[in-house]
Amino acid sequence: MDITEYFSLVFTDYTLRTITLGTAILGAVTGMLGSFAVLRKQSLLGDAISHAALPGIAIAFLITGAKDSNTLLLGALVSGLVGTFWIRGIITKTHLKSDTALGLILSLFFGFGMLLLTFIQKQPNANQAGLDKYLFGQAATLVESDVWLMAIVTGICLCVLLLFWKEFKLLLFDADYTKTLGFNTKFIDILITTFIVLAIVLGLQTVGVVLMSAMLLAPAAAARQWTNSLATMVFLAAIFGAFSGVFGTAISASQNNLSTGPVIVLVAAVFVAFSFIFSPSRGLLFKQIRFIKNRRDLELHKTLAFMYHIAETHENISHPHTIKLLNNFQGFTKKTLQKLVEKNYATIDGSMWSLTDLGFETAANLYTKQSTEDE
Amino acid sequence: MNSAQIEIQLIASLVAIACAIPGTFLVLRKMAMISDAISHSILPGIVIGFFITQDLNSPLLILLAAFTGIITVVLVEYIQKTGLVKEDTAIGLVFPALFSIGVILIAKNANDVHLDVDAVLLGELAFAPFDRLFIGGTDVGPKSLWIIGSILVITIGLLLAFFKELKLSTFDKGLAASLGFSPAIIHYGLMSVASVTTVGAFDAVGAILVVALMIAPAATAYLLTTDLKKMLWLAIGFGVLSAISGYWFAHWLDASIAGSITTMLGFIFLMVFLFAPSKGIIAVMYREKQQRTEVSLLTFLLHLKNHTEERERHVNHLQEHINWQKVRAKTVLDLALKNNMIVLNKNIVSLTKKGDTFTSKAIDYIITNEDAQIEDMKDDFFLFRG
Repeated sequence: MDITEYFSLVFTDYTLRTITLGTAILGAVTGMLGSFAVLRKQSLLGDAISHAALPGIAIAFLITGAKDSNTLLLGALVSGLVGTFWIRGIITKTHLKSDTALGLILSLFFGFGMLLLTFIQKQPNANQAGLDKYLFGQAATLVESDVWLMAIVTGICLCVLLLFWKEFKLLLFDADYTKTLGFNTKFIDILITTFIVLAIVLGLQTVGVVLMSAMLLAPAAAARQWTNSLATMVFLAAIFGAFSGVFGTAISASQNNLSTGPVIVLVAAVFVAFSFIFSPSRGLLFKQIRFIKNRRDLELHKTLAFMYHIAETHENISHPHTIKLLNNFQGFTKKTLQKLVEKNYATIDGSMWSLTDLGFETAANLYTKQSTEDE
Repeated sequence: MNSAQIEIQLIASLVAIACAIPGTFLVLRKMAMISDAISHSILPGIVIGFFITQDLNSPLLILLAAFTGIITVVLVEYIQKTGLVKEDTAIGLVFPALFSIGVILIAKNANDVHLDVDAVLLGELAFAPFDRLFIGGTDVGPKSLWIIGSILVITIGLLLAFFKELKLSTFDKGLAASLGFSPAIIHYGLMSVASVTTVGAFDAVGAILVVALMIAPAATAYLLTTDLKKMLWLAIGFGVLSAISGYWFAHWLDASIAGSITTMLGFIFLMVFLFAPSKGIIAVMYREKQQRTEVSLLTFLLHLKNHTEERERHVNHLQEHINWQKVRAKTVLDLALKNNMIVLNKNIVSLTKKGDTFTSKAIDYIITNEDAQIEDMKDDFFLFRG
């Protein structure tokens, strides 16, 4: 199956439609909430939470014996929340730093989860085959009810986001101010963290615990490069996330032996790389172009100033001088001279140059007056 | 205990020691999450190395994979330097991408590669004794024992040789740089050791346990001491303890050894986190409670000093005026009585001479903030020790 075939099938084939819709919704909701995680400098929290959810899945299975994904995800949610609040406890109550707390909870919970998983595998009654999918995710196991669950949670997220938009925004950028205004910051904080955990747990079945953090971060990090407004960023992140989901599913469906999760993550990574390079205001490419432009302007000014100092010593400012004089000067290149001629600041006659009246005047005022002509 | 069991415990202990040493410095330098990133992103290095060497235990593969680890660190630092995103976001972006490449490489070549993502993440310590190293036909022990043993020897050698430099640059970067120790060399040296250790250990115990063994013992030790040498020893001790107890726990449960060692690490950390003498959660909460009571006591004494009227000094008035709950009021009253600060006379409270001087001193302290005033009171109260 190639990509075009995929797009013709996506509307008719049940499995493809379900998976595509599921990954698209997942990408949108993680992108949306990920924006908050990135801006709150909690990028790695997602990584820790997704790992910390693993023992919850195993314990939920051990208690209920059911493989129903909703029950397992509930377990994941609980253990994700326990992990989150333990991390917070470590950071606030001891002198261990946040990176240590994150790495600690991440590896300890994950190891404990693996212990439980291997323990379950040895149980005689277990048809535990489905539990492995939470490690790396299997989008192919998504069914319609899962997609409905995702859609409902996304709807709730959206409502809460709109309802508490002002509070979230305020808390994000000035927590102390929010507190002095009388908002219950603890409540808002817990609310947003809970929704981040919820989004992560939703994605476990599709992309798995190991790669879930990228789903949270990548769309948000890409969106951040294009805008300075929170609303636009959240919106863009949702779009980037949804597109990574759709493209990732399309690519993995069109090839054999390609699991969906890693492909989605790589597509999201391409979005990030593209944004890092080509974003107009922050991107590396335009930054470099601006840098070169500025340097050229500076060289032009330096050359002009140098010429001015030579011309100053003569009574007639248009007295011709040889170009060789300029050669031992650092900022000078043939191009700058050409540009000076273009701007009518100087004239060239063979190997001689002379300053025009305009050029002389501009040079005299170079450092005293703001010039708007040169960018 | 048969020889395979002894060998497994030996390998696990050596891995624990080899991880605890770089782990201590990573925790102190606030770079713990880098070890998580390295442990994931070595996957493509391992896969590519495996294509080239066809042997999971070849030294070339270890170097190649460790090189991927260094690339991760460099990439993270490059992205961070552009200022487009924060450091933690940079880490979170780089390693899932590299890990995904690794997973896809394995999936696409599933037929040629005798490699399993689960195995990379979790390792299987139980099989380590079966892959043996033969020199000239004689069996000299499991391969992973030799690999991790040599890594450990190198790590210890580097630690002894550069202990002073490491210590200095960890606690005072500026001073280290001004004394002429290149921070970059020490930084990348530590990163290289961490990468090599991760790769050397992943085969035996898996990537996640490496992270746990690096961070958890060091973090646990950090709650107990602030002395670098003691911290190193404690971290090594906790690592080895959980390696051995974890093995037996797994033996008993018949489950993954790596998972069980991590669980032991988690259990030890939880115990220390709760019960550490001065930095544990219970000690911290007790201290906070003490301090709250002492502040209340001071407020109460000041109130008494300010009011001579009997009405204001009645026991029942405490609850109304200062708005304390009954229990708290009683605690404060008892504390004050026990210290002979006040006398109770028909439910009317009045300051004793001792209480009066104490209060004046306390006011002096609050106003001038000079330690000398309260030297003699420090024994009775937590409050003035901080």
